[in-house]
Amino acid sequence: MAAMSFEEYCRDVFDPKKIFSKPEPLKGARFLSCTQYILGPSCANYLAELGAEVIKVELPRRGEPMRHTTPFNEPKLYPCSKWLPDVGTGLGFFGANHNEYFLSVDFHKPEGQEVMRMLGAKSDGVAENYRAGTFDRWGIGYRQLSQINPRIIYQWLGGFGGWGPGRKRASYDILGQAQGGCFSVTGWPLNKGGMPSKQTIWIMDYWGGMMGAFQIIACMYWRDHISGQGNFLEYSQVQGAQRHLSDCIAMYGRHGLVPQRFGNWDTLLSVHGIIGCGKSSYPDSKNPQELEVGYILVSAYTDADFAKLMKLIKKDNLATKYASHGERVKAESQYEIYPAIEEWAKDKTKEQVRDILTKEGINNQPVFNSKEVSTHEHFHLRGELEWLDDPSFGELQSQGPAFHLSESPPRHKWAFKPVGADNEYILGKLCGFSKTKIAKLEADGVI
Amino acid sequence: MSKNYPVLPWPAVPTPTPDEVYKGESDAAKEYALWLEANLRQSENFKKPEALNNIRVLDCTSMMIIGHWCSSLFSELGAEVIMVEPVGGDPLRKLSPFGRKEYMFTDEKTGEAVGPRFLAEARSKQSVTLDLTKPEGREMLKKLAMHADVIIENAPPGQWDEWGIGYRQLSQLNPRLIYCWVGQLGQWGPLKDKPGNLDPTAQAACGFVHGTGAPVAFGGTPTRSGWWMCDQVGGTGAAIGIITALYYRERVSGRGQFVEATGAAGVIRILDYNWGWYGVDGSIRPRYGNWDLAINIYAVNPCKDGQIMVGGGHDRLWFRIWRTVGKDRPELEQRIVEDQGLKVVTDRLPHYKQVETYTTLCDWMKDNTRLQGESKLQAEEVASGGVSFFDEVCEFPHYKYRGHVEVIDDVLYGKVLIGSSAFIGQKTPGRVKWIGRPTAYDNEDVYRRLLGFTKADMDGLKKRGVI
Repeated sequence: MAAMSFEEYCRDVFDPKKIFSKPEPLKGARFLSCTQYILGPSCANYLAELGAEVIKVELPRRGEPMRHTTPFNEPKLYPCSKWLPDVGTGLGFFGANHNEYFLSVDFHKPEGQEVMRMLGAKSDGVAENYRAGTFDRWGIGYRQLSQINPRIIYQWLGGFGGWGPGRKRASYDILGQAQGGCFSVTGWPLNKGGMPSKQTIWIMDYWGGMMGAFQIIACMYWRDHISGQGNFLEYSQVQGAQRHLSDCIAMYGRHGLVPQRFGNWDTLLSVHGIIGCGKSSYPDSKNPQELEVGYILVSAYTDADFAKLMKLIKKDNLATKYASHGERVKAESQYEIYPAIEEWAKDKTKEQVRDILTKEGINNQPVFNSKEVSTHEHFHLRGELEWLDDPSFGELQSQGPAFHLSESPPRHKWAFKPVGADNEYILGKLCGFSKTKIAKLEADGVI
Repeated sequence: MSKNYPVLPWPAVPTPTPDEVYKGESDAAKEYALWLEANLRQSENFKKPEALNNIRVLDCTSMMIIGHWCSSLFSELGAEVIMVEPVGGDPLRKLSPFGRKEYMFTDEKTGEAVGPRFLAEARSKQSVTLDLTKPEGREMLKKLAMHADVIIENAPPGQWDEWGIGYRQLSQLNPRLIYCWVGQLGQWGPLKDKPGNLDPTAQAACGFVHGTGAPVAFGGTPTRSGWWMCDQVGGTGAAIGIITALYYRERVSGRGQFVEATGAAGVIRILDYNWGWYGVDGSIRPRYGNWDLAINIYAVNPCKDGQIMVGGGHDRLWFRIWRTVGKDRPELEQRIVEDQGLKVVTDRLPHYKQVETYTTLCDWMKDNTRLQGESKLQAEEVASGGVSFFDEVCEFPHYKYRGHVEVIDDVLYGKVLIGSSAFIGQKTPGRVKWIGRPTAYDNEDVYRRLLGFTKADMDGLKKRGVI
């Protein structure tokens, strides 16, 4: 074989166009997703991307609350369910429910609980995020399902966890961010007019779901290749914040130091921060997002790069003063260095700054908005963004999976479906229910 | 007393006891919680098996957290993780906030100072050194690869391939090997990583920075995450990819595969509706500060002594929030519940409605501290909590009780407070065994155990600068 360059080789083995000709790694695994909002749904979603059959169980008619969540109440996909043709599903639901089958069951009703036990008997696992103990009380928790199916892997995901002093507290993503410590180290300091800030994405939810999925697959590995046993797992979303920021905890524990926020600069490296350029890249746009001035990450923390950068912006005095990294990484030094770079960039767009820095061999990355990411060929070429021909909603731009596998890659088949769209398929296939029985359950409000 | 003991006593306030936590509850009410405690308490972890203790991972990454984070998830679940570092150690070891040496951690044996960010993700791992720029070092890596289930590396794109130790070559030697490359933007494609790309590169490139922080009208700018967030999200994606490949190897193929994960891909995956929204109508997601574009009430706003989070997107909680406010300020509750434009959940989302809502809420919160506001709202079962700083986080009773924060009394580094493993489970929980190792601490053990090197071999390698 003629030698293929490494780049060509990667393009070939990771080519998103070839994904559907490759096998799915979790084929044959079945999970029930009795989840709402983002933390639980995304956890099950990552398994569905890998080929597990994930059955999302929602309350009939309106489904779960995340369906009714969308920016400024504007974009929606219709219908929410066959019962509510005039209600749409908001885009908040979009990122966490790909590839799943949609079943509606009212867990409160005994017939609904019986359906759950029938499904639990045939499933590898359950992801669930009702208040701790609720499913146990309904007879469909781990203690009951593991009697029917000892191999079941039951992952409860939630805010504070089901035991301990805070066990009764409700939580959401930003509560995890706020009370877990994330806010305290993000945003500009007070003397720069800032305050503790959230990560705009629901990161403790979406990333917490990733942690849950990792633990589930590890437990499948242990079950199928080592022990044969199921498992009960509890993921606490607020705990995720402490795990995330373990270095801050170590500094507090050793030194009593309480790490603070430092805006767009970096506490470990200098220069390694985001600066404002003075000009917008799209001065004629009607969109205020594009009229904003541009921002760019400038990274020149080595002595050689820093000297080059200071020469470029004609600040030879700073090059001398901060010749060593130990000097320029001090907080007070950064307060002098970054404004000098911004002064130089004030008559430029982020693209102009990028071109000049790149020519000088200085590492940089313009701050992209979601349009610039969506239209950049890099991300679509790699399958990190994709256009889905969705069977329910038509053409949709979607995020791709978070990682690439050469032999058994994750993939997206559809975005999501209306509430209860697969009732007949799932109840027929797994519970053996007849058309008449399904119609009766629907009339009784069980499904 | 050794200098390695913490300056502060921790916990400063004693951790609550189970009797205090469950005081006054009926047996029925606390039965499930006590069952959970009996099955999940982290103090029992070391009596239980580990899910991944037949897996060996070589973490050959440096200067980024993405690879170290990924391998931490494996070491927490029991895999043997060996950090393969350049001679002299991963440069990340030497970094501490603002370059302050006093924030570093020193081990009693070698006296080497290590920065907190590296040490936080060195948990339960061994450290060896190996110079891969030398042919002899690469030959050693090939031998190590024969003993590995997983290799993680983050060299510039194609570097290892050029050196003859990339996936194409190592998979010939060890077909069962799972080979994972991690980085910021990718090892292929028009924006593939350039040398020097580190975490905020992915944050800036993936749309995260543009969307984080307050709008211009509120005096804000695009804002980066305060930590290397893309590395941690991307590293978690890498870990899912690797564990999936391991599962697939055992179950189906008998062979390893090539895994690639980046900070950008990880965060793009979780940037909720950015992409769908642009696809539907061309909208560019704006920044919205500490409010939420898609849920009202769901925000962090100022109060008397800081900021407080209040969340209640649907009606049940919405009215409870205003009932809480109304106990102190009836006119504020009245203003909101009588507003016809705020009756329906979805009608509350437009910007001017959010301004109205939060202005009214802040009118009440300005007279309440975080603790007062949180206590009043929680009495109505509303999700709420003050923005906490790390002194408060480390002393938070719930976290202490559950072991979210724990002291590792390490044989080398002394007592170190850490965020413990988040993998809580009945049968195979995650755990931290030791805090980390000084550079090259395990050369002797690993090279003797895996490669059969003698003392003389190792002396020679050391002399030639290979290890």
